Amino acid sequence: MSPIDRYNCEETFRRLDDFLDRHLSPEEIRLVQEHLDTCGQCASEYAFEESVLRNVRAKLQRIKAPDDLLSRVRQALERERGGGRPSGSR
Amino acid sequence: MTADSLRGIEGSIIFASRPTPDFTMTDPSQAPPPAEPFEALLAPVLDRAYALAYHLSRSRDDAEDLVQEAALQAFRAFHQFRPGTNFRAWYLHILTNCFFAQYRKRKREPRTLNIEDAEPLYLYSRTRELGMHEKTPDPASAVLGKLGEDQVHAAIQALPEEYRVVCALYFVEELAYQEIAGVLRCPVGTVRSRLHRGRKLLQKELWAAAREHGIVTAKAAPERVE
Repeated sequence: MSPIDRYNCEETFRRLDDFLDRHLSPEEIRLVQEHLDTCGQCASEYAFEESVLRNVRAKLQRIKAPDDLLSRVRQALERERGGGRPSGSR
Repeated sequence: MTADSLRGIEGSIIFASRPTPDFTMTDPSQAPPPAEPFEALLAPVLDRAYALAYHLSRSRDDAEDLVQEAALQAFRAFHQFRPGTNFRAWYLHILTNCFFAQYRKRKREPRTLNIEDAEPLYLYSRTRELGMHEKTPDPASAVLGKLGEDQVHAAIQALPEEYRVVCALYFVEELAYQEIAGVLRCPVGTVRSRLHRGRKLLQKELWAAAREHGIVTAKAAPERVE
């Protein structure tokens, strides 16, 4: 059986998400990349999905924990240490 | 680490039907020294953990409680944590379990979304229909860049829980499929399929938000963005 030497649009499309996340074998990454280098339509779809991912992550990650959360966690841990409760008890 | 070793942690282990993988996904050179105090490991992951907790619980108050409760549970089970393995993944596993065990029923789940009509490349197709691809080199940014953070938060929080949890771990925590599978104790294939569907549903929600807030209309697309 001869190895696949190139992907068509359908084969590339099926792997678009996994390619975006680099969740493919090195050989699959090479084949997808080669197709994107020669197919404007698929390259446009990939660039769009990559931009969606970048934009969504940027917005979702901007949320910050309240300034006093760490200190409140530390206080709770101090109470836990001081209380001497056995592990797992409530 | 095995499922047995986690039994000291309060709350049920929701995805414990299969052996628990080791949390060894990080570069060993980044691993903390064995004597590092619990707080020193927890502090750097707290912001992202809060963001994750917020998207899971859909409430800022619940998110604070969830982070704090997970910290307490992790502290009690800290003797089971293996130095040099991935503390963040270990803590996030406890946090998600804590959510499943105690917080998931506090707020009504979002309306049922129709998964079937969330076609692949949903946003790509909609923006193309409006002719945006001829007007701007980055039509995705032209739409999403104008959405407020709260609107993007609302879009992910509208996803049904099974997709929301995986999407939050992926988008917020930037975990790889294998790491998400480790946190949720589920097969990598489950993560992949839920993420695939979750992305489609999220794009549909984002488009609906863009329509609702007048960022895109049937007649006019946003101006070119540089």
